[in-house]
Amino acid sequence: MKIISIELYKLRHKRITLMLILFLLVEIAWTFMATSKSISSNPENATWEMLIAIVASINGLFLPILTAICVSRICDMEHKGDTLKLLLSTSMKRGELYAAKYVSAAILMILVSILQIFSIMIFGIMNNFKESVPLFLFVRLLIGTTLTSLIVIAFQQWISMAVKNQAFSLCLGMIGGFIGMTADLFPAKVRSLFIWSYYTGLSPVTQSYANEKIQFIIRDVSSLIPAMAALIVVGICIYMVGSFQVSRQEI
Amino acid sequence: MLRKCISAELIKLRHSRIWLILMSLPVISVLIGSANFYMNQDVLKKEWYSLWSQVALFYGEFFFPILIAICCAYMWRLEHLNKNWNIIMTAPISAIHIFLSKLIVVGVLLTFVQVFFCLLYLIGGKVIGLTSAIPKELPGWLLRGWIAAITISVLQLALSMRIRSFAVPIGISLCAVFIGLGMYVSNLGLFFPHSLMTIGMGVLSQEGLPSVESHILFIIMNLLYIVAISQGAIYLLKKSDVLD
Repeated sequence: MKIISIELYKLRHKRITLMLILFLLVEIAWTFMATSKSISSNPENATWEMLIAIVASINGLFLPILTAICVSRICDMEHKGDTLKLLLSTSMKRGELYAAKYVSAAILMILVSILQIFSIMIFGIMNNFKESVPLFLFVRLLIGTTLTSLIVIAFQQWISMAVKNQAFSLCLGMIGGFIGMTADLFPAKVRSLFIWSYYTGLSPVTQSYANEKIQFIIRDVSSLIPAMAALIVVGICIYMVGSFQVSRQEI
Repeated sequence: MLRKCISAELIKLRHSRIWLILMSLPVISVLIGSANFYMNQDVLKKEWYSLWSQVALFYGEFFFPILIAICCAYMWRLEHLNKNWNIIMTAPISAIHIFLSKLIVVGVLLTFVQVFFCLLYLIGGKVIGLTSAIPKELPGWLLRGWIAAITISVLQLALSMRIRSFAVPIGISLCAVFIGLGMYVSNLGLFFPHSLMTIGMGVLSQEGLPSVESHILFIIMNLLYIVAISQGAIYLLKKSDVLD
């Protein structure tokens, strides 16, 4: 706990929360623009399902890159300041430091997801959506987004800590964003191989085109559980391998 | 002196493996775009034009600007490390040459990216089995895309010069991509560097620029941005204290 608070303390003058909120505002503004356009072209589209589906697909592009930026900032300060040697010359273990950085990044990205959920709820209420707020769908969206972000953080942290040159980790974030955005174009089996595809893959609402009309379908919870379980296992593996490799790396 | 600065920049890039980063985006764009085109040929019937719409949409609209941001941030990374700002600013080199040499090197790297992307597009089309003639607009899309890429590079170089963090200018670029798309949709595309890319590469509308006047306006707007932002960045480089 103390190490996590020290990690967060190191971030106090980096304005990282402010940066995340500003970037999130741009994403939210874009989501609202896309939603408003959809509603103005067809007022029947003013449903919570449509809003959730749009948010999930924009998350596929935006969150992998935002996660890469957040994790890179948290890890790069040790590379830039050459502070790893200093930290490890104290009684701190590398595994603990790795875990503290992971938890700090996770806290920030969960904060982003929660803020996003609240903002879209407010948007829906202000636009007088017919149905009441579907809290269960929002909780599922939050769980899906958070879970995917946690796995992406594990992968990004591994690269950001192992490779000093942050261009590579940010390039990975960019490729992740690309795959996250285009994931729905892949066949289901191929899609399931990419961790970034789960921003839409774990969304409680999916889109389908029938008779040149777009339909929003609520997914059954039980259909997502195997994917969630597999994702958690993959995430644990990525974290363990990353922590193991970074812990044995020459500084 | 400029030539020496350029060769110094090239030396700094040695062993950086930045080519891996530069090649990754065109490869992924063309692979995904071509696969999607191949699977939806019953809907996408305009052969090369439809293939371009698939491979260039996400590349030009979202990810090429981010690649440029990564490339520009990398160009200044070394200066932000180990108090290198003090070394570079006390060396007998003018601020103009420092900035221009980085811009020229980025321009060369982006030329490589565009040519590589074009080659992959042509190979992708041939592998799929497209038989019609290659679009005559292709050189225009690539050239105008490159010009807009230089405009975005100037902006990103200026941001990465002032911001010590490697990641923040890339985040700003991501936000600018969305703002640029909004400006393009609002028919204000000529007034924002990132929407100039959308117009130039014909990613959303392949008709591109309809008249000679619109071409001239496109070039003028790009030049305006390049000159204005470069001037501002060079002024800051001359007048403000180094980042510590």
